Amino acid sequence: MRKHAVKRAAVLGLAMVLTAATLTGCRFGFASDPDDPNEEKKEVPIDTSVDTFEYDTQLAGAEITLLNSKAEIQVALEKMAEVFEKKSGVHVEVMPVTEGDSPYTKVVSMYNSGTPPTMAILDTTDVIALAEEKAADLSSEAWISEAEGYLTEVNGNVYSFPLCIEGRGIIYNKSVIEKTLGSNFDPKSVATLDDFKGLLEKLRKAGMENPVSMAKEDWSLGAHHLQYIYETFDGTSEGAQEAIEKIKDKTLNLESYGRVQQFLDMFDVLKEYNVAKSDPLGADYDEMAIDLADGKTAFWFNGNWAWPNLSEAGAGNEDDYGFLPYFMNNNPDDFANSRIQASPSKQVILDGQMASEKEQRAAKEFMNWIVFSEIGQQMLVKTCNLIPPFTNNPYEPADPLSRDIYERVQSDEAFNASAIVPNDHWSVLGAAMQKYLANRSDRTELIQSIDSYWEEQK
Amino acid sequence: MKQNTKGSIKKKTISMLTTVGLIVIFAAYMFPFLMVVINSLKQKRDIIKSPFSWLFTIKGLSFDNFAKAFTQMDFLNAFKNSVFVTVSATLLVTLLAAMLAYYIVRHNNVISKLTFALMVASMIIPFQAIMIPLVSIYGGMLNLLNHRLTLIFMHTGFSMAMSVFMFHGFIKGSVPIALEEAAYIDGCTRSQTFFKIVFPLLKPIISTMVILNALAFWNDFLLPSLVLSDKKLLTLPLSTYSFYGTYSADYGTIMAGLLLCVIPIMILYIVLQKQIISGVVAGAVK
Amino acid sequence: MKRKNNGKDFCMFALPGMFCFFAVVMVPFLYGVYLTLTDWNGVARTKNFIGLTNFLGVIKDGQFWTSLLLTFKYVILVVLLVNILAFFLAYLLTRGIKGQNFFRAGFFTPNLIGGIVLGYIWQFVFSRVFVNLGEATGWNLFGVSWLSDPTKAFIALVVVSVWQLSGYMILIYVAGFMGLSEDVMEAAGIDGATGWRKMRSIVMPLMMSSVTICLFLTLSRAFMVYDVNLSLTAGAPYGTTAMAAMHVYEKAFTSRQFGVGQAEALILFLIVACVSGIQVYLTKKKEVEA
Repeated sequence: MRKHAVKRAAVLGLAMVLTAATLTGCRFGFASDPDDPNEEKKEVPIDTSVDTFEYDTQLAGAEITLLNSKAEIQVALEKMAEVFEKKSGVHVEVMPVTEGDSPYTKVVSMYNSGTPPTMAILDTTDVIALAEEKAADLSSEAWISEAEGYLTEVNGNVYSFPLCIEGRGIIYNKSVIEKTLGSNFDPKSVATLDDFKGLLEKLRKAGMENPVSMAKEDWSLGAHHLQYIYETFDGTSEGAQEAIEKIKDKTLNLESYGRVQQFLDMFDVLKEYNVAKSDPLGADYDEMAIDLADGKTAFWFNGNWAWPNLSEAGAGNEDDYGFLPYFMNNNPDDFANSRIQASPSKQVILDGQMASEKEQRAAKEFMNWIVFSEIGQQMLVKTCNLIPPFTNNPYEPADPLSRDIYERVQSDEAFNASAIVPNDHWSVLGAAMQKYLANRSDRTELIQSIDSYWEEQK
Repeated sequence: MKQNTKGSIKKKTISMLTTVGLIVIFAAYMFPFLMVVINSLKQKRDIIKSPFSWLFTIKGLSFDNFAKAFTQMDFLNAFKNSVFVTVSATLLVTLLAAMLAYYIVRHNNVISKLTFALMVASMIIPFQAIMIPLVSIYGGMLNLLNHRLTLIFMHTGFSMAMSVFMFHGFIKGSVPIALEEAAYIDGCTRSQTFFKIVFPLLKPIISTMVILNALAFWNDFLLPSLVLSDKKLLTLPLSTYSFYGTYSADYGTIMAGLLLCVIPIMILYIVLQKQIISGVVAGAVK
Repeated sequence: MKRKNNGKDFCMFALPGMFCFFAVVMVPFLYGVYLTLTDWNGVARTKNFIGLTNFLGVIKDGQFWTSLLLTFKYVILVVLLVNILAFFLAYLLTRGIKGQNFFRAGFFTPNLIGGIVLGYIWQFVFSRVFVNLGEATGWNLFGVSWLSDPTKAFIALVVVSVWQLSGYMILIYVAGFMGLSEDVMEAAGIDGATGWRKMRSIVMPLMMSSVTICLFLTLSRAFMVYDVNLSLTAGAPYGTTAMAAMHVYEKAFTSRQFGVGQAEALILFLIVACVSGIQVYLTKKKEVEA
């Protein structure tokens, strides 16, 4: 009886866990598929033969930690830390912010537990929240002069190291557009909102019913879409700040502020040609990358961070992807219609409270190494696949999206404005935008939501 | 005679119908799990585009996700940590909770009543409300974080209330005091009575609590993530972090990793299920 | 003799368990309560005593009360459905049906999948399978993703919670039914009590302790629903499905109002404590001692 039960249990376990296995039988043999884009992950070679960086030998043996909130570069950062340790003797432990945690919550809990990370990669709002309370002043570091225009100042001091530039706009798939229209497509030929609308209409007539993908996620709607109204105030971070202050003290009325209506004009166009038009809140983020790569759609509102998704969906480095601006009106001379928003997003702060002097020096060396050493420069661009905010970095990113942003930054076709909004801006107003996207509210109601949000922030 | 046959036919029909009904509900319950198994063998693209397609129709089906999950998770090390933490905490909480519950049931004094009331109330404290105070105390003040023993201790503390509650109900309902009185008369001490007479009677509820607690410890994410940060100490769920990106997640590997985490606990469940079934209490009371 | 051993008994049986519990749960909880009376934001080096200001903030936070109302609706539905379903499934699974071990293992599987994967799979079910089904059959019910409509997203949340929680409760009810002596069931059969009557007059009273436990567990878990809420809907569409626990968390960490969030957590706790206190009192009264 007992034996029988044991046997049954074993069979049961096997059956449950390997249902699929028994179903497929011999199929398991054919693991590799040569056509599969996911199969080979090529390693970018890093040239380590030249290294003129001067390492401080006193720091050898120091152990520091780096909290990483950019999960997609976790492995790359670990590789970087490994090379750095080999060269300098400083051990950098890269700690990930894990699933379900926000970076801010993680840092707060780590500070409370008495073991804060020596360095932490954070978003700009988090940097500002923590800067004066916890972070070390980095204003006199050597890399400051190389990152002109990409520094975040808090009361005149710099507390953070800009790790990368990220840009966003309307991603296009050139070959799909050309194939659908049967003619050449020059992204430069689209200079106004009407041009863009015309292009969408042409695509629709050519058989691509709804050529646009737009995410329903609140961070996309509340941060990436909506923040254009602050960022395009005059295209600078100071301007964005000014706009926010004016909205707060009511000297700028949202109803009459032109950028709000212009932004909604563009948003409405995207909405009209949205591939998930019948159920915009049912759209799936991962599917959008596949749709764009497969040519089901031609446009996707997103940033250069979307490349890993596109690459997984089958896009290659040699493919023709790029950005169109977020068109605001029909004036071709308006910077918003010709430039892409690109600004430093992730920044590194150095703990100034608990870290020892040696640890702080080691961390500063690590930052300098990223900016000034040949190896650090290469690894930032090639291994981490980031767009460097440092003018002395000669390397160019390899994927088409980052390359497009990079080239635009170099040729002054980008505007660097980041709006510093309260941390719950994306979630509160993201919800309001979702409502608008789903046609469950109108412009008046949406503007009211924005108004009352800022009312509460006073 | 005739009626008897009629009755048995009716009985048979009913039992047939119940079985069919059960199978349908069963399928609904199993469905997501089956999805995990199937999709763990697919590439991400296929998971997104055709998550429900049968395996035959997909190309590139492979165990690659499992291999990738296995190495990226540093599976063996994480497995070792998980086993150590889960086994220790489960044993500890089972023993301590059974004893505490026994004390509470048999001593109707103020301490018992107060402790029990506090425990019941504590089960409804949202974990988020004690998260930051917890790390402030154990990290900032006592500097005890980043040890597996601290995690075991906290697991024990957090599951104590629930376990005591369950043992309490069971002891009160199913352990007759007459047995203990008999043991006393035979000259057993309190602890002898407990370990020789009462503890064996608790087998069904022990099995239940072992599986529930072990499962909770094994799968817990939030608490270990607060306590452990050293890579060498990570438990299995923590070790899957690298599969989640900011804007995308590696679903195939996540599901494979999930299965790798789940298989050991399933085996435990299947083994313990027999204990629950054997229904020791009924036999002992008779 | 009993009296003499009391202290020793206490140290041996009660103290270790109590120590773990108080050190890990009660002390941080009380410290958390203290924090609601300060202006500490989770980061600052100093804490200033500000009295009940944070509680005033709670009263002003309309979203919190909306989410609480929604949570009440959710709790009622979930508690009823979970317990009815789990009770009857457990009953069937202890009546010696063929393959009942297999079934029990199956009903337990929802507990094996947690967190983000669970939400992801169910998202697929609601936004893909159902939509595909809708396209194939033309049923309006499945026309668009359930998760993009406030009411249907709420129902989806209930469905997934019932699915997940009932697996757990089945286990407890099964243990309860196993604890009943077969004599009771047999006697009931001989006496001529059949089916429904047997269930009501004989089985139910004996099962009341299991019912008490399960009601309590579902009640408290449903009130504190967070994981499923976050991974399935994350409050979407447009914040209509954010339950109390999720709102509290967002308040403390996304809106960075740590004190207010902590105070809301405390209020949530008090409400749940009252509700489940009443429930335990009512069901305990019906329990029969074996």
